[in-house]
Amino acid sequence: MTRQEIEKEIRAVLLREFEVENPEPDVNLREAYGFDSIDAIELLLEIERFLGTELTQAEKKKAMDIRTLNQIIDYVEMLAHHRKNEAEKA
Amino acid sequence: MPQRRVVITAASAISPIGHGRKPIVESLVNGKSGVAALREDHLISRFIHSRVYGTVGYPIAYDFSRQYRKTMGPVSYYACQVAREVLEQAGLPPDFVTGGRLGIAFGSIHGSPTVQRDIYRIFFEAKDKATFQGIGAVDYLKSMVHTTAVNISKMFGITGRIISSGTACTTASQSIGFGYEAVKYGLQDAMICGGADEYDTITVAVFDNLLACSTAFNDRPGETPRPFDRARDGLVVAEGAGAVMLEEYEFARKRGATILAEVIGFACNSNGGDLILPNLDGITKTLRLGLENAQINASDVDLVSAHATATKMGDIIEAQATGRVFGTQPRVVALKSYMGHTMAACGAVETVLTIYMMQEGFIAPTLHLEEIDERCAMIRHVQKLEEIPVKTAAIQNFAFGGVNTCLMIRKLT
Repeated sequence: MTRQEIEKEIRAVLLREFEVENPEPDVNLREAYGFDSIDAIELLLEIERFLGTELTQAEKKKAMDIRTLNQIIDYVEMLAHHRKNEAEKA
Repeated sequence: MPQRRVVITAASAISPIGHGRKPIVESLVNGKSGVAALREDHLISRFIHSRVYGTVGYPIAYDFSRQYRKTMGPVSYYACQVAREVLEQAGLPPDFVTGGRLGIAFGSIHGSPTVQRDIYRIFFEAKDKATFQGIGAVDYLKSMVHTTAVNISKMFGITGRIISSGTACTTASQSIGFGYEAVKYGLQDAMICGGADEYDTITVAVFDNLLACSTAFNDRPGETPRPFDRARDGLVVAEGAGAVMLEEYEFARKRGATILAEVIGFACNSNGGDLILPNLDGITKTLRLGLENAQINASDVDLVSAHATATKMGDIIEAQATGRVFGTQPRVVALKSYMGHTMAACGAVETVLTIYMMQEGFIAPTLHLEEIDERCAMIRHVQKLEEIPVKTAAIQNFAFGGVNTCLMIRKLT
């Protein structure tokens, strides 16, 4: 999955589930859209769905400091990379 | 302790007979019932003998952004809508609304049963982690017992006291009473007070299994409940919400607020015994305490809004207590005859309707009161619409658990 594909998917989720439309990549989502910890938990479920993988509690906790779209994309990219490596090792 | 006068500067209700003043007044004047057929829930409704429900059967144009919707169950939609309406009507300055001197007293009987039902469905059926994750991160916030009050506080940035009574049918009357006391004794300068309950078949099932629900009019929902009537056969569960804005009198007067009525007294006690049976002594004492708290005589009361759910014993006990305390002078109306029992909301809805009647100068009759039960005949029932000014009203509510309230309001002249 490329970074562009991840961004497209995240933007679609933000619009569909959180009514966040066309956010600037580095804008603070909490300040600009009231995107709070409740939303973050819901977003993690969405990420699990589209990656088709279950996140560990430790992985989820890492997401709690995320504030911007770019950081979300970095996070998903990192998860996708880890899962790919794990699959290759297996 | 210094005591201050407390006035009502806004009122609104979502009820089975309409939303807001105009449609509700029209329904009262025209004798229109809001009771309809029980809706199927595809769960337990097929087992319920009572096939009637006081239904909010019209659309409501909510305009809540997702930021607020995400923590709201259906009960909070009702609550936040009536809260928004009383805030708009009252026209309080924005800095006052958020400044800490405005509080909230608002409740429901048990939060949002719709959301709770979904949580427990997963609780009993979860076979894997994916199903378990169906319990949403916000489900507790949507369904908890104080969900209405805190969603109101969040939506409007209100930072004062939160009181969230959950005493079944006295929830909203306690909200208004406790809000009144908070303003009267200077703890707050204004309070949004009320109650709400959403469509819920569990409540119907509880009363149905107690043989307390109306069943004889299943084919004619608009003819039940029938408080004080010989043919009454039980209560009808209903949904809705009501809210009032209470303000300290001088504060309201100085800012030029429209004053709808004054709250002059409130009493609340408990029967200290059986949790279901109505208690003549307990109710009688509440009504007397209400008069005492308002510092008025029974002869000063023009109108009694009776709790009157249309159960066999409840109506008789209430009529006896009302007769003992108020005699035959005040007119007595049972407003549940129009819509059924809106549960946690009823104290606020009935207060709002009483204010509307005060403002419009009429007393609505108790609907379907065709033949007064002789055991309820010791009070002055209203059987036809009367165009008559109402100056002072007593609003009576009683709840499972043996809780009784009496609220006294007066029209300012």
